[in-house]
Amino acid sequence: MTWRLALFGLISSLVVGLVYVWTAPMIETARENARLDALFALAAPLLKDGDLGQPTEIRWPDAPPESLGASSIVTPIVHNDQWLGMVLPVQTNDGYSGPIKLLMAIDRSGRIVGLRAIEHRETPGLGDRIEVRKSDWMLSFNGLRYTDLAPADWAVRPDGGQFDSFTGATITPRAVVSAVASALSYLEQQNPTMEWAP
Amino acid sequence: MSARTLWANGLWTQNPGLVQLLGLCPLLAVSNTFENALGLGLATMFVLVLSNASISLIRSLVPDAIRLPVFVLVIAALTTCAELLVQALHYPLYQSLGIFLPLIVTNCLILGRAEALARRESILVSTLDGLAQGLGFLWVLVVLGILREALSDTLILAALPPGAFIALGLLVALHRVLQSFLRAQRQTTPTEDIASRRVRTTGDVS
Repeated sequence: MTWRLALFGLISSLVVGLVYVWTAPMIETARENARLDALFALAAPLLKDGDLGQPTEIRWPDAPPESLGASSIVTPIVHNDQWLGMVLPVQTNDGYSGPIKLLMAIDRSGRIVGLRAIEHRETPGLGDRIEVRKSDWMLSFNGLRYTDLAPADWAVRPDGGQFDSFTGATITPRAVVSAVASALSYLEQQNPTMEWAP
Repeated sequence: MSARTLWANGLWTQNPGLVQLLGLCPLLAVSNTFENALGLGLATMFVLVLSNASISLIRSLVPDAIRLPVFVLVIAALTTCAELLVQALHYPLYQSLGIFLPLIVTNCLILGRAEALARRESILVSTLDGLAQGLGFLWVLVVLGILREALSDTLILAALPPGAFIALGLLVALHRVLQSFLRAQRQTTPTEDIASRRVRTTGDVS
């Protein structure tokens, strides 16, 4: 009986594995397309004056925050070889379930032009209000520079900060706010003109 | 079991959404737009048809003691496949369905059909039943989705979970009324019918 159960387990895993191998490249392209769509939507204000440049890998110097990681693939918005701004990935593991991947567009003064959650598994109806199509919360970051707020204001309201929290889900917005704040403050300190072009 | 009864059961008399009231969680949670409803309905149908078919196929190999773990294993594997396929073929749908796609595993409609029918019936009957029940679930989901999406602009309640409950309640009520009306009609007409088919003494006469 036991070996039979094990056999069924084996067969099921085999089927799942085959489907996985078959769909993996398609999923990869679909993900990439979704990321590009988000990129265009985010950088729209900057794209009025410039174009999307080649994605570049930047190794962050001097102990970058966890939200950026050791290095990031950054997409610059360029005009006449000058960076008008960039779109960069920001990530946090402090969410309620699994990593939350964000995409952030900033101009060269370090001001947030757009911010979106591109991948997350937060609870539907509670934490998933970080999605722009479910709530306007994400837009409350638009136009902010790190220095526009006091460091203590870069937190959700229950923690004494500036940003709204969701009823029944404080963990998600808290994670997003702190990830964005740490990334912004690091970038501002490292390179006030945001001129990262290698 | 004739194909006709299977279809009638799935689509109307034993409709999973309106009569058996199975799978209410996704039914209420994902019926906020037409697209979501259609997507989840199709994914559920995909899993249901294949799980019914494969469970019927292996029914003689599964001893009673490990029946449930094997069924859940099959359903979980198929749901994972469905999730991967939706991700590969229609990524935006995957994003908007979110957690409800993997949650098809817990849809009691699927395990229910495996227990009630697929483990006893032939693969043909089981597949057909999966199709019929899946389609029955799908149309209720889609009708709810269309209703809620159409009303959500004028009536904010329709877009929210309580609105789904109320809308489903109204649909169930409508189904009951129609059903008793149909039954009453059937009872008044068949007298001559029986007389003309006097030879047949067993089975369903209608």
